[in-house]
Amino acid sequence: MLYVKNLYKSYETGKKSYPVLKGISLSVAQREFVAVMGPSGSGKSTLLNCISCYIPFEEGTITLGGQGLKDMHEDALAKVRNEKLGFVFQDFMLLDGLTVRENILVPRIIHGTVDSKAEALADELLTLFGISHVADKYPAEISGGERQRTAVARSLINQPLLILADEPTGNLDSKSSRAVIDSFENARQHLNATIFMVTHDSFAASFCDRVILLKDGAVYDTLEKAENRSDFQDRLLTKIKEMSGDTE
Amino acid sequence: MNTKKELFQKLQKADRKQARLYLFCNFISLLLITAYSAMMLSPTVLLVLPEGGDSRKQMTAIFVLALFGCVVFTIYASCLFFRGKAKQLGTLMALGASRRWLAPGLYKEVLLLSGASSMLGVLAGLPFVWLIWNGFRLLIVDSKEMELVLDFKFLYLSALFFLIVVACSCINAHRYLKRTNIMDVVHEEHKNEPVRQLGRWCGPIGIVLLFAGAVLGYLAPYIHNALFDSYYPPAWLNLLYAPAFAGLYLIMLHTVVHGWRSRKKHPYRNLISRSMMKFQGKQTVNNLLVGTVLIAGAAFALFYLPAMMSSQLAALSDRPYDYLYVSPVTQNIPGQNEVTAFASGYGLTPCDWHECGYLVLGMDNMVEVEDEGNTYHLEHRELAGEGRFLPSSAFCALTGETLSVEPGTYYAVSNKEETGLYWLNSNATQLANMTTRETLPVTFAGYTHFDLLSGATGYYVLNDADYAKIAEGLGPEWQERVAAFNVTGEDSYDFASAFFYMLVGSYDPEYAIPSYYDRIEKMYAEEHGQVYWGDTESMTHLSFDAPDSTEFRAYWLYMPHMTLLDKNDFVRTYAVFLMMFLFISIICILAALVICYTRCMTIALNNRYVFDDLERLGASPKFLFAEVKSQSRNVFAVPGFVGSLAMYLLFALILYGNDGKMTASEFLSLGMSLAILVLLGLIIYLTYAATVKQMAKTLDIPH
Repeated sequence: MLYVKNLYKSYETGKKSYPVLKGISLSVAQREFVAVMGPSGSGKSTLLNCISCYIPFEEGTITLGGQGLKDMHEDALAKVRNEKLGFVFQDFMLLDGLTVRENILVPRIIHGTVDSKAEALADELLTLFGISHVADKYPAEISGGERQRTAVARSLINQPLLILADEPTGNLDSKSSRAVIDSFENARQHLNATIFMVTHDSFAASFCDRVILLKDGAVYDTLEKAENRSDFQDRLLTKIKEMSGDTE
Repeated sequence: MNTKKELFQKLQKADRKQARLYLFCNFISLLLITAYSAMMLSPTVLLVLPEGGDSRKQMTAIFVLALFGCVVFTIYASCLFFRGKAKQLGTLMALGASRRWLAPGLYKEVLLLSGASSMLGVLAGLPFVWLIWNGFRLLIVDSKEMELVLDFKFLYLSALFFLIVVACSCINAHRYLKRTNIMDVVHEEHKNEPVRQLGRWCGPIGIVLLFAGAVLGYLAPYIHNALFDSYYPPAWLNLLYAPAFAGLYLIMLHTVVHGWRSRKKHPYRNLISRSMMKFQGKQTVNNLLVGTVLIAGAAFALFYLPAMMSSQLAALSDRPYDYLYVSPVTQNIPGQNEVTAFASGYGLTPCDWHECGYLVLGMDNMVEVEDEGNTYHLEHRELAGEGRFLPSSAFCALTGETLSVEPGTYYAVSNKEETGLYWLNSNATQLANMTTRETLPVTFAGYTHFDLLSGATGYYVLNDADYAKIAEGLGPEWQERVAAFNVTGEDSYDFASAFFYMLVGSYDPEYAIPSYYDRIEKMYAEEHGQVYWGDTESMTHLSFDAPDSTEFRAYWLYMPHMTLLDKNDFVRTYAVFLMMFLFISIICILAALVICYTRCMTIALNNRYVFDDLERLGASPKFLFAEVKSQSRNVFAVPGFVGSLAMYLLFALILYGNDGKMTASEFLSLGMSLAILVLLGLIIYLTYAATVKQMAKTLDIPH
């Protein structure tokens, strides 16, 4: 589904160049729920922004559903973002002037295919994620968890190949975080969604099939879930301690 | 909501606060520019402000400053609008909206907003001009010349500015759509714009550059003309003012980055407001700069009023005669008997009557002759121009002075402060009887003083014997007379006014000539097959049909001095001058205040989260209000202080540079200007106080 090979990205500050991603390679299979973890500055969000082509990268290849994303024309990239990718951001990025239902339909409007089928799907997603009761409310009128679930529903409206989530629980309390993770689970179960999530939260990551650990712009390790969620979280925490050099 | 059109409509509705601010900024800019250009190009003003004169140059220069300010302001407004819109655009881009998909809706929105606001600004400009100008007429002064006539050519300037505003908005839209880093677009709203930091030296160096630029720019034309015998200074010399603008920028930069107070004792004082200002430094510096330039323009326009008033007050003070009039002997002008009879009708009796004749003689001089290529050479002409010569005995009788004029010498009559000496010929070596062409060798003996005969016409005093000798055979067309008197009892304006019209009515039409009109120069030009410059179309043409016009009263060769009339009619005579400069200052002050207000409100809106965080950290309303005040204080105080002070010093330099000295009337003018600046400061302070209240209200800070 998603292949990233030898990805390099650096940021320029004045005359200095700071490498952030140093030859990252990874892959995500269909219906997989993958998390990327790592300390601040390890390059997690940069990796996600490169995959979504929000920011340009210097070297490497990214292939999504068999289609290479490097050097694509702007219009073609927009089409990929709209049709093949779904996005969930830490700060939700909902449009303030639109209701919850309208926000969910925005990718369809961009696609130019808002019909009764799309509206029915929007209603289905509202029900699936438990936000039908706020369908006609504006983002400012609902809770953080509801906003993020709206964002998850929005990311699924075009039935994309891959959902990219950047710290989706970062701004939420534990109850809301759980609700968002449940929505990802639901999306995978009912809509065959593939999810690639960047997170700091080991609890959220412990729901994933696989966790990729990043350190200093490179893949440090990859952990696959072979046990129950709680044990997997413990293993994750141990590995994170090891990665940070805390061996006591 | 199923379509793109509906989506855009909803998003525009959600953005209406941002759009309102954008509309307001464009509207104000267009309104001010339209109003200014309407007045600047109106026949009402152009007929009164002489072409090529200093007042017209000043009006144009301030217009350029206002235009610069408004252009920067509209660019700022456009950037603000797009900063607010960035999250919306970025989100749509992130969800797969392509540039092509977004462009039509975005361009339509910005074209509609910029076009409509600009059009409304242009339309509102006309009633704005009408209201202010007629407000002046109703409340301050009215005259026939004040009647507002507009030349709709000003709409070309409005149209140009309209295009600039629309182009700015489209360029910004294009810039945002072209960006490839979507995350940058998304986070644009909260992106800091730190200004490039320079060391603490930048403030002092800025001050030095500001003064150096002002002095250099002011003196350069004189130095250039002296060095290269140039007639007119080339336009590029104005670039020497550039260091002043660089200096202003450095001063603003220092204000934003370092502040002007020493922080050694209290390094944490105003830490939050300083850092807020510093990290949005680019726009703040630009705004401070524009505000300063506009306040400087306003101050310069305002100083015009005391400059005129003080010179008039000085001219009117201590006059030895209530009435003095000069006239050619060829005209049947009322003499003592007629005036006495006329005054009796007003219950007045003329007294202290003094009257004498004088001669209009040819004088030799070194004359600047313009060459090709904007240079000149000096040439001695035996008949260079007219001079009006009184015999010393008659001059002493008239003035009450004791002046002994040696044979073969002459004195030039100046005012007590000896200003405007450039009008007088101190180089003459011979005088000529223009009828017989007999000459009299003379040398210049110095200046004698009599304010009522000083000025552009040029009066001189000769030894009595020399006078009698050169007068022999001189035709009456070269002879004039002066009469001066006081009146017993309280002078009457009605008499003064009626007497003025009586004098004017006594002249034949060909005597409606300005004071600089010189028959000898005319003769020389005609002898050489040239058209005398005084007869060219561009020169002032006076008419006895308009004796109340500014031109007539300011330039007529035989304009009488009537203390009461001069005192009462001054404001009416110069109404268009005074009101135009008052109008300019209103426009500039208004523009500066709107810019400062907008900047403060933007700071409040953009930093709302900082104030929320501070509140969560336990900051009291008093502390938060103090931070708000500290933020806006700099935005208002720095342009107000720097703009006023810089222009005040430049004004003092100009007053001094006119004749290399400061006269009592110039000191008076500086004093009056200072009072005006205090008033301007008060207006700025009141706006600042209102803005602070509005900021606090926006941020929900109780005060």
